[in-house]
Amino acid sequence: MSDPKQTMGVSTGSTTGGLVVSAIHEKIMAAAEEIGGWGEAAEREARDLVNQPTINNWLEAMGLESQRFHQGEAPPSMAQVWTMYGQGGVSTSSTTEGYRDPLHAMMNVLTDAGFNGVLGTNSEQSYDRYLRVGEQVRITTALDSVVGPKSTGMGVGYFVTSRSTWYVGDERVATMLFRVLKFIPKTSGKDTA
Amino acid sequence: MKLQTGEKLPGWELPITPTLVVSTALATRDFQDVHHDRDRAQAAGSKDIFMNILTSTALCERYVTDWAGTDVQIRGISIRLGAPAYPYDTLSFSGEVTEVEDGVATIAVTGSVSLGAHVTGTVRVAA
Repeated sequence: MSDPKQTMGVSTGSTTGGLVVSAIHEKIMAAAEEIGGWGEAAEREARDLVNQPTINNWLEAMGLESQRFHQGEAPPSMAQVWTMYGQGGVSTSSTTEGYRDPLHAMMNVLTDAGFNGVLGTNSEQSYDRYLRVGEQVRITTALDSVVGPKSTGMGVGYFVTSRSTWYVGDERVATMLFRVLKFIPKTSGKDTA
Repeated sequence: MKLQTGEKLPGWELPITPTLVVSTALATRDFQDVHHDRDRAQAAGSKDIFMNILTSTALCERYVTDWAGTDVQIRGISIRLGAPAYPYDTLSFSGEVTEVEDGVATIAVTGSVSLGAHVTGTVRVAA
């Protein structure tokens, strides 16, 4: 067992159970409150309309066979695929003035505080309906919660949960709660495991 | 298809190859280097490239629809990530219908690798 008190940025006897210096914790939670106040932000249009070639590539890679997905419908768990940032991590709308992504902003706050490790822990997707070829999908993302500090198997960290919503026009078509652990890797402390 | 609580899904074993990890990452438009570049993955502290989260979700979709048929209407897929899925390991799925209520069946699904559970979660389908 490693002792989390020996990792970087850590002291004892604070309101955070001794895992993180109180001042750092307060700064993190203040940032969480501010970013949470942005609400549904980071609005982006998918680069492409829902389209058959992208569906076909996905079906081939996953090994999923179905006539249904050659007759105008897209597999439900592809909802997230349409609005991925793509290679280079930028989209046309993400370079426009005033664009800000709550998840990225909160992760940056934690990285700057020394929590440079990142691990996806939960993805909870709900589908209102299946998307159809030809539809233009749009996404928004909001910061849902920041919980911590927690001592985990990876190291001391904060769980950051964001809530993404996909729309076609004004119709909500899918939602996702996505949680990542931002942590100080144990190997960065004195007690390298 | 009439789903009943307690009904078990047949097991499914999927060999994890570098091609599977890379092709599924790219098919889900996830270009993070840890999913296609072993040198970069190892520099980041991983043993090898590893499966991305969108694919873990997609394989839960495939596991359930391989059994129930793609005519079922999937309402949601919630997963918790555990051990990484590395090439040359095997992803072994098991599942069971845990609840049928208000027209929705909940199927608990686990996908395990040699290091333990890679993905545990639920797939909700219209029943």
